[in-house]
Amino acid sequence: MTDVLQPTEVALAKEETRRSRFGWWWLALLAGVVLLQYLVSSTAVPPLWDTAISGPIDQFATWARENRQIHPIFTGFFIPFSAAVDWGLTTIEAFLKWLPWFVLPLVVFLVIFRTGNWKMATVATLSMVYPGLVGLWDTTMETLSLMAIAVLIALAIGIPLGVLAARRPSVERLIRPVLDAMQTIPAPVYFIPVVLFFGIRRVPATIATVIYSLPPAVRLTTLGIQGVPQQSVEASDMFGSTPRQTLFKVQLPMAMPTIMTGINQTIMMALGIVVLATLLGAGGLGQEVLEALNQRRTGRGLAAGLAIVAVAMVLDRVGRSLAFADRTRPASRRYVFTSLLLVIGAIIVGRAMGWVTFPEVWEVSVFDPVDTAVRWGRDNLSFITRPVNDFIVAGLLIPVRDFLTLTVAWPVLLFVTGFICWRLKGVGLAIFSIFALLLVGLIGMWALSLETLTQVLAAVVISVAIAIPVGIWAGRNRRVDAALTPILDALQTIPSFVFIIPVILLFTVGQVPGIIAAVLYAIVPGIRITALGIRQVPEESIEASQTFGATPRQTMFGVRIPLAAPTIIAAVNQVIMMVLAMVIIAGLVGGGALGFETVRAVTRGETGLGFEVGISIVVMAIILDRLTYAWAMRLQPPTPSH
Amino acid sequence: MTGDVCLSVEHIWKVFGTRPDRAIEMVGRGATREEVHQATGCTIGVRDVSFDVGRGETFVVMGLSGSGKSTLIRCVSRLNEVTSGRVVLDGEDLTAMSDDQLRQVRRHKMSMVFQHFGLFPHRRVIDNAAYGLEIQGVDKDERYERANKVLEVVGLRGWEQSYPQQLSGGMQQRVGLARALTVDPEILFFDEPFSALDPLIRRDMQDELIRLQETLQRTIVFITHDFAEAIKLGDRIAIMKDGAFDQVGTATQLITDPATDYVQEFTKEIPKAKVLTTAAVLKPGRGGPNGRIVRLDDTLEGLLPALLEDESEIGVEDSDGKTVGVVDRQAVAKALEPDR
Ligand SMILES: Nc1ncnc2c1ncn2[C@@H]1O[C@H](COP(=O)(O)OP(=O)(O)OP(=O)(O)O)[C@@H](O)[C@H]1O
Ligand SMILES: [Mg+2]
Repeated sequence: MTDVLQPTEVALAKEETRRSRFGWWWLALLAGVVLLQYLVSSTAVPPLWDTAISGPIDQFATWARENRQIHPIFTGFFIPFSAAVDWGLTTIEAFLKWLPWFVLPLVVFLVIFRTGNWKMATVATLSMVYPGLVGLWDTTMETLSLMAIAVLIALAIGIPLGVLAARRPSVERLIRPVLDAMQTIPAPVYFIPVVLFFGIRRVPATIATVIYSLPPAVRLTTLGIQGVPQQSVEASDMFGSTPRQTLFKVQLPMAMPTIMTGINQTIMMALGIVVLATLLGAGGLGQEVLEALNQRRTGRGLAAGLAIVAVAMVLDRVGRSLAFADRTRPASRRYVFTSLLLVIGAIIVGRAMGWVTFPEVWEVSVFDPVDTAVRWGRDNLSFITRPVNDFIVAGLLIPVRDFLTLTVAWPVLLFVTGFICWRLKGVGLAIFSIFALLLVGLIGMWALSLETLTQVLAAVVISVAIAIPVGIWAGRNRRVDAALTPILDALQTIPSFVFIIPVILLFTVGQVPGIIAAVLYAIVPGIRITALGIRQVPEESIEASQTFGATPRQTMFGVRIPLAAPTIIAAVNQVIMMVLAMVIIAGLVGGGALGFETVRAVTRGETGLGFEVGISIVVMAIILDRLTYAWAMRLQPPTPSH
Repeated sequence: MTGDVCLSVEHIWKVFGTRPDRAIEMVGRGATREEVHQATGCTIGVRDVSFDVGRGETFVVMGLSGSGKSTLIRCVSRLNEVTSGRVVLDGEDLTAMSDDQLRQVRRHKMSMVFQHFGLFPHRRVIDNAAYGLEIQGVDKDERYERANKVLEVVGLRGWEQSYPQQLSGGMQQRVGLARALTVDPEILFFDEPFSALDPLIRRDMQDELIRLQETLQRTIVFITHDFAEAIKLGDRIAIMKDGAFDQVGTATQLITDPATDYVQEFTKEIPKAKVLTTAAVLKPGRGGPNGRIVRLDDTLEGLLPALLEDESEIGVEDSDGKTVGVVDRQAVAKALEPDR
């Protein structure tokens, strides 16, 4: 034995010191908490800067409103830009409405049928017809044209940007944090600045959608190009290709499947948000749902919600059949030709015969029976829904909220958050968290933020309590996994907003529907990622454990779960982020707190308030995200350093 | 080196890392690769390598994993920039060329075949083969015509419309070979082109390359980690270790006169009777008493029947039929002696 310590010994020694120190830190934490709680009695940060941020922003907003028609920044850029987008929207919408209604379903069928999957083609085609059946054809076309424009703009920006990032590391370094931030910030927060510059109605809705759906287009393009094997690129170089030739003849075509996946994701994100963007007065399916819910016309709300789901499914399937087409079997020329002929024929016949709008006779009236059924459900299922509601409100939300807002002195909360950040990540995050939270308090958002935090925590606790056991189960049991996959797939395609509808039907408005919807929305990735983590544990480790005679239980808790822990925490991270996004959306249906303020800010044009809410949400999102991420990193087994 | 030099490599160095000057200086003072890495964080990829390759010659670089073979061939083809030294192709200094000049040279003079093929999965076999011509801007009819010809030569007739991933590994590398040959290059670089193939296919491909080379007579730089392959294909072989050449010579020179223990390690495994030719055991003389004649390029294994029948000296003649010397049992026995 030389004097060099074996790596395991070093690790053990480090572990030892860390553990023993940890005990002291807990004591320090306790002492700090007691001291601060004793010294300070106030439970909220004094809102000293109440108008420090909102004031100037409101002034700016007023200035912008007054100068929209005259100032060069508007007349020179925003107005022409808006006009162009609006022109695009009008044109596409007019075109879609000009097309005979059966052309779109036909195209859907032909595109998917090309891959030979007639079942999927039929289902997608019927889904495409569904909105017409419930009398929402024109509304759906409005949503589709808004999406089409938004996606086109997102791709026109995102793909070149992704290419640039793949080729220039400096560009990638620059845009990576921006994309990260874009994905951390709940969507409605974007709306506020967008409204400021583009006013209300369709154009800002389009722009908000573009911003929200941009990241996957950029990311997957970069990923795709970076994923092209080095050898293929070098082979191309060795033939004397210019960088441009290599890009267009080798890199882009080889990255195509990944880019198509990116396009598919962009479309799905756009659909998810386009519905919300109707908050900005853009019309379309989202508006339909919102109005129906507000007027308690549940049948109509449900029908519109299902139309969104149907559109989502159609777009997803069409996107996938394009993305995963087998390149070694390109569509035969005859198929393409026949399809084109069919489509053109359908257009001509439809126009000539005047079969353009969806025939009224076909419109099935399902609203009244649904309304009745839902009313019945609400009245007769209350023996379940009421206790659930009461338990969540009285058992979880109120005590936690009261504890946070009425009992705990504000410096204690800052101190504890800072302490946790410091232990899990480092001084940097701790300092950031303390100052960021202080800012939230100073601008007068303290109580609202804590209320939102309470809702988030409740939804996260419930989601995690469901998602992790189910995920572990699915990860271990192939049959469970096989049974869950289609359900999870379906749930994941559904835009978040739609989850609110069934819940609100049963629970009426209030905090609970938002929380339940958030749970429904968030458990999907929670289950997925957990199952993935469990499944990824190397078979060798499991077998090693079994050869020592470990029981399945011992293997589970001694090997599988510890090894999967980082991934499981990543699942928790994902759950938190989705819950956060959803709790804001829940503000639409009486969730109160920050969500409600967001809605108010957007719909009433209270820009200053909007910024304050935005800051609070972003602060919360960043702290929660970084914390869980750091936690997951901590659980990662140490990698050998070179 | 006799005859016309096609490629000339002059004292090239390749150092990966941020302080190449210090690394080179340390090597000059006798430091090893590990010491340099410890002190500077730099990796010595190629260490002062020089060699010439004659027109039509097959020059093989053989070495174990990590010895710097790929780095060397990548420096020569300028996929990597050299740290110092020159690479001269047909009298032109590749290392000093602008990107544009380099592109022109690559379009018309050189080609490369890669270990993992580096094919384009989104292009059909014919479009893979025609890629170089497409880059040059040759029109479609002509490039298909030329690609078709080459595909036929490498035995891929009938597969033109397939996609590479529908082909077996050996056939995929034939596509790689065809792609390199279609542009009719002066010099071909091969970086372990057959290493990813299984042994039988590998042998087929080696034979194929030998057959092609008989008619094409291209200049080839061929990288391998397989000494048997080096001997089979190479006119001359360089043994590479830790980024530098240990020895350069013909197979016979390496076997009969290994410069270092390292070189001898490889030659030990080689069935010498199959590799050495009569030339390696030639003695002066004017023919044997029995009038029996063997050829100068016969392997020793091929001599065995004659040697077993004839105890005395046997005459040797060259390819022109001129007698150049004699062989006898003692000389052959000595050459085949195992522990030399
Ligand atoms: N881009 C690079 N950056 C840093 N070091 C490199 C780089 N490329 C190669 N090296 C190092 O240079 C040395 C030689 O590598 P090289 O790939 O040339 O070896 P090789 O002989 O081709 O081996 P193999 O048979 O495994 O292909 C290795 O130590 C390798 O780690
Ligand atoms: Mg190599």
